[in-house]
Amino acid sequence: MIIYNPHNETTLSERLKEAGELLAQIPAKYCFITGSFLYKEKYKDIDVFVITRSKTEITLKNKKVKITTIDFNDLYSLFYRSVSKSCIAKSILPAKQLKVTLTDYWRVINEAIPTLLNQKDKFHKNVRFLILYTEYFKNDEILDTFQLNEKINSFKDYNEVMEYIKRELSGIINKYAKPSYVKRFFYTQAGYYKGLTEYAAQRYLYTLTHNVVKGIAHG
Amino acid sequence: MVNPKEFKKKIEVSISQDYKVEFLGKNFDQIANLLTESKTEKIYRWIKNIIERKIEPISIGAKKPYKEWMINELLTFRYPFSIRNTEYRILFVKVKNSAYIKFHLGDHNYYDKVRKNLSLI
Repeated sequence: MIIYNPHNETTLSERLKEAGELLAQIPAKYCFITGSFLYKEKYKDIDVFVITRSKTEITLKNKKVKITTIDFNDLYSLFYRSVSKSCIAKSILPAKQLKVTLTDYWRVINEAIPTLLNQKDKFHKNVRFLILYTEYFKNDEILDTFQLNEKINSFKDYNEVMEYIKRELSGIINKYAKPSYVKRFFYTQAGYYKGLTEYAAQRYLYTLTHNVVKGIAHG
Repeated sequence: MVNPKEFKKKIEVSISQDYKVEFLGKNFDQIANLLTESKTEKIYRWIKNIIERKIEPISIGAKKPYKEWMINELLTFRYPFSIRNTEYRILFVKVKNSAYIKFHLGDHNYYDKVRKNLSLI
């Protein structure tokens, strides 16, 4: 059993043993447990991740276990890097060079905003990728599940999340993208949103794209 | 438990359009059979809200084809729900300012396949 704990979070010792027992039941070389099960007395689910090519569904007797399968092609993703950063693994986990682009980040924003506005009361559940990507581009840091939960819990409601994105996005784009790319990409995106401004999410996305382009124009 | 035929019929009646919406999903009927009355009512209410433009769609600015349309011509409405610990998704696809074209219902594996075709993350 391998413990990944780069920030020296206090893990619950009795859970380490339980985690080892659960991982031993999984018929895959690469699997790991992360999330509140390792750090909190009270937890809802046990988040188990299995890296496999197999399509066969894995189930464990423990009803709290929630298994997510990660394909080997997804090892370069920010998601994998985040969930595997602090975890208990059966063996040394495979590592691949991170591949993440601003276009990926925009796709995350594009999908997260409508989802957020459709489930305003459950915003904690729907902003994980949005916060993970924003913090990565803002601070060059990949948050682990513990840090990500802390960051998400720092928002009082969905409005604060929307304000945070509005505040951070232009700075991030200015930091990473060439003005020519920004103009081309965001002008095109703005065009798609413009015809859909009867919807609040599309209106918000249109404003975001507009602000980014305006930011570039004003240096 | 809901009769899949009635379920589809009721959705067709709600959207009331000449274009025949396609109901898709590897285990569509089996999943529909698992729906309780209250879950079904929630889905009907969700569809009513889509028609009344109270649900936020996802639009993708990709110039890639999806069936006979381009992805940037489409709006996708996503509805997640679970039955006995298994997660399911509905993806209801509409052409902007036009007809509803596809109603996908499936488990996570099916959803993964469809979302890739629609260039969703």
